[in-house]
Amino acid sequence: MGSDFYQLSILPFASIIIKICRAYTNSQEDFEDYYQEVCLQIWRSKDNFNQQCEWSTWIYRISLNVCLTYLKRRKSGDKQIVSDALPEEVIDDSKAFVSDEINQLYSAIKHLSETDRAIILLYLEEKSYDEIAEMIGSNSNNIGVRINRIKGKLNKFINQKD
Amino acid sequence: MTKSIETMWKEGFVNEAHLTAPKINDLYNRKSQNIVDKLQNMFALNIKALILGCLIMLVMMSLIGAPFLGLYICCLLLPLIIIAKKELKKSFNLSKEQSSYDYIMNFNSWLKSSIKAYSRYYKFFYPMFFIGMAIQGIVSKAGENLIALLVEAVPTGIMILGQPYYLIVVLAIITLIVAKYAEALYRLDLNIVYGRQFKKLDELITDMEELRK
Repeated sequence: MGSDFYQLSILPFASIIIKICRAYTNSQEDFEDYYQEVCLQIWRSKDNFNQQCEWSTWIYRISLNVCLTYLKRRKSGDKQIVSDALPEEVIDDSKAFVSDEINQLYSAIKHLSETDRAIILLYLEEKSYDEIAEMIGSNSNNIGVRINRIKGKLNKFINQKD
Repeated sequence: MTKSIETMWKEGFVNEAHLTAPKINDLYNRKSQNIVDKLQNMFALNIKALILGCLIMLVMMSLIGAPFLGLYICCLLLPLIIIAKKELKKSFNLSKEQSSYDYIMNFNSWLKSSIKAYSRYYKFFYPMFFIGMAIQGIVSKAGENLIALLVEAVPTGIMILGQPYYLIVVLAIITLIVAKYAEALYRLDLNIVYGRQFKKLDELITDMEELRK
């Protein structure tokens, strides 16, 4: 990858990738792996960008699709596993962000299904229901209903922790 | 909890210092960890391994005095190379820029059609491979000696293709069993390697389909 492309087209949007990758990973090592994979896939797909949507939307889309189909590396050996919702796993990057509130929110988000994680991240990033529906491949009514349900789950989880 | 999750998100990220991108290391040479890319890499590697396997078989079998068996195995492996090439080509049409649903569905269709293409051929490959090995065993010096011992122990006047009928019957039964379980064998192998990924994919599809209802 040309470092110019990374500096000019990816780095200014790194916060999008970071926010999404953090929701699908449980350690710094995994996070860096996911981040690099997303960057790689953005670079590989750059020629298909047809400017029908904004570059940032494009980055959201690729980041989500990559995170949904990513293979995690096991710590021992070279075997790969898929990322799952891992309620039983110890989440060892609970201090990934400076803000305790964000860490608490991420901890709750990680207990959601992979699709729900994608939906709530897009919602929190102030994407409209139509935009979320288009990115996920659903319709805005269903997205609205699902968001309410997800918010309920998140609130319940956060209140339990408080 | 007093704040809404929207406020937590907005306020929390205002002064967030940990939104700095991690260091990128040799990204261009990075081996992809994505399922699609991983399978593409596997198919590509498979093609190379099959071509190499063909050549090794041909040379090795010729050296041990069974050039026809080498040629026969090469002929059996050739369609696998063609299938792998065809499937690899198909996979390049998958783009990651579609909606998540379309992307997952396209990936799933490609995966299913690939598995189908491979399992169709393995149903033929495994029994034919067994038959080839069996024939080579029968015509070899050691095989001839073993069959002579067998005929001595279990004499029979009924010969098929110059061999005792029961040997042919046993070989035919084994071939049928191999043919019957060839697909299951291939799928078992696939499940051991990719079982978790397939499960994850199924769960994702179920969830996304529910969202579309």
